[in-house]
Amino acid sequence: MMGYHPLVKRLLDGELSLAELPPELRAEGEEALRLLGAVDRAPVALSPLLDERVMAAVRSHAASPAHRAWRWLNTPREVELRLRLRPWTVWAGALAAAAGLALLLGRPAPAPERGLATQVRVGLRDSVFVRFVLYAPGARRVAVAGTFNQWDRSAAPLVPAGTSGVWTTTLALPVGQHQYAFVVDGARWVVDPAAPAVDDGFGRRNSIVAVTAQGAHTL
Amino acid sequence: MGLEGEATDAEIVRAVLAGDVERYAVLVRRYRERYARYASRMLGSRDVAEDAVQDALVRAFDRLADCREPDKFAGWLFLILRNRCYAEQRRRQREGRPLDEADEMFAAPDRPDGAYEQVERTHALERALQHLTAEQREVFVLKHTEGLAYEEIAGVTGATVASLKMRMHRAYDRLRELMKEHLE
Amino acid sequence: MRTIGIAVTLVLGTTLAGGLGAQDVQVRLDRRVSPEVQRAVRGIAADAAAHGLPVDPLVQKAIEGGAKGVPGDRVIAAVRALAGRLAEAKEAVSEAGVAAPSGDVVEGGADALNAGLSRSQVGALVRMSKPPQDPALTLRVAATLAALGVPATQALELVQGMISAGRSPTDLLGLPGQVQAGVARGATPAQAAAGLARAAGGPPPGRAPDWVPPGQRKPHNPHKP
Repeated sequence: MMGYHPLVKRLLDGELSLAELPPELRAEGEEALRLLGAVDRAPVALSPLLDERVMAAVRSHAASPAHRAWRWLNTPREVELRLRLRPWTVWAGALAAAAGLALLLGRPAPAPERGLATQVRVGLRDSVFVRFVLYAPGARRVAVAGTFNQWDRSAAPLVPAGTSGVWTTTLALPVGQHQYAFVVDGARWVVDPAAPAVDDGFGRRNSIVAVTAQGAHTL
Repeated sequence: MGLEGEATDAEIVRAVLAGDVERYAVLVRRYRERYARYASRMLGSRDVAEDAVQDALVRAFDRLADCREPDKFAGWLFLILRNRCYAEQRRRQREGRPLDEADEMFAAPDRPDGAYEQVERTHALERALQHLTAEQREVFVLKHTEGLAYEEIAGVTGATVASLKMRMHRAYDRLRELMKEHLE
Repeated sequence: MRTIGIAVTLVLGTTLAGGLGAQDVQVRLDRRVSPEVQRAVRGIAADAAAHGLPVDPLVQKAIEGGAKGVPGDRVIAAVRALAGRLAEAKEAVSEAGVAAPSGDVVEGGADALNAGLSRSQVGALVRMSKPPQDPALTLRVAATLAALGVPATQALELVQGMISAGRSPTDLLGLPGQVQAGVARGATPAQAAAGLARAAGGPPPGRAPDWVPPGQRKPHNPHKP
């Protein structure tokens, strides 16, 4: 029997003294106190560089417009720009993106009932623009890869917002749940710090976004 | 240092929110060591703890506007760090990283009077703590390393005193089992 | 030319989604994973299809592993594990009274199992998802809550409370974001979920803690500045 006697546990909790234990429990009590004697209460010293690292990040995040983007990134929100009918030029481009994604996802494309124009409207209604943002100062390249583009590391590059370290792109995603990750410099897979993440089965994590007709959620 | 030491957390938080970003350095200096020990004991590695503390401080800055009671900045920051520590533990658990392959355990303290046996025991306890559940480890660390009463731990974690005691008593039994050869 | 291109794309998309045959699986895996992984995944996919399980998630997982540079044996293991979860999810959903669940519901069930929900919890979520609720969405919301750190039982109770209170599917979708917001304000995931459950008229939550840091009430704390 390895467990401590209940009275010895009260000794460890500081509710009893060794002298208050029955004589037959004194030895067990002394052993238990050796456990507490091993607790290391010494302060833990961190690197003196930590302050500067924190402040460098803080200054960087505070710089406008990156600060606004960073706050936006860290605030749960609907990340969408709803897809609505646009002037013809924009509309055609959005359609191509939505249709291409339907193919890549291998999900059912809208049933082609009345030719292309019908498909177009259904396709538009079922797609939502989703904006992806990553703060990655020092990165040379950033892309987003996920279930919506066959995890292709080069299919959806993000564009740097000036020299702020903030990278963004906007994609038209079909309604449904998608898993994704950012790819930094072509090799480093990074989860979205602003979105929930799940085990990817390979010892890493994937971020999740849910796209509904009402918009996108960081689900 | 004198002026810095006198400013309250609330005053500094308000100054930072008003645009004086450099004042945040005061809060960084004030809390970095104070919470380092908790993070180290929870995560079993000084280096991982350093990352956690750094990350918590940056996150706290990013969300400073959400700190509704600036005079309770310390507690608010602690909960951000606590969430970060739990997330790190979950991540490690999911990745199935054996404890021995985790980042190096911090060295046993170099005590000037340090009897070898005592140093060994301390080292063994640090290792054993990593074999407890995160909840057991937390209550042990907060009570016996940080010196909090059960009622105070309940205030921090939201758990009841009764459930904290149950966790702790299980932790005692488990530690006895793990530390057997070092306690006899 | 653009119009033709779009039409071709849509037709192809429909064909692929209609059912992934062995040839389709082969085409999608080609040059994305090694021949050895292709062979193994084809076998796992064929077996899954024979049992009425969705094949697309398996192919996606293999492609993901290839893109991430994961060694072939680990990719195969992950695909096999996913197939096992899909099978278990299908059984759980069937036991909950859905005789022929859609691939999306089965996939949602597998996500929930992966996030730590039990088989009986998956079944309970399906049973409570009467229209207008969609069981696939309900399962994924619960899975995401669990992934955020909300205990599985509490995630289940929160979703149940929302549905009982007549909340819409869109309201359910907003739950993970609200939990995240609570965590951003310093609550634990469980505390944030408890607050939402209270707001939804759900089960009585645990008391939110008073924000007391270690040592703050203890003047003798050596780390007190």
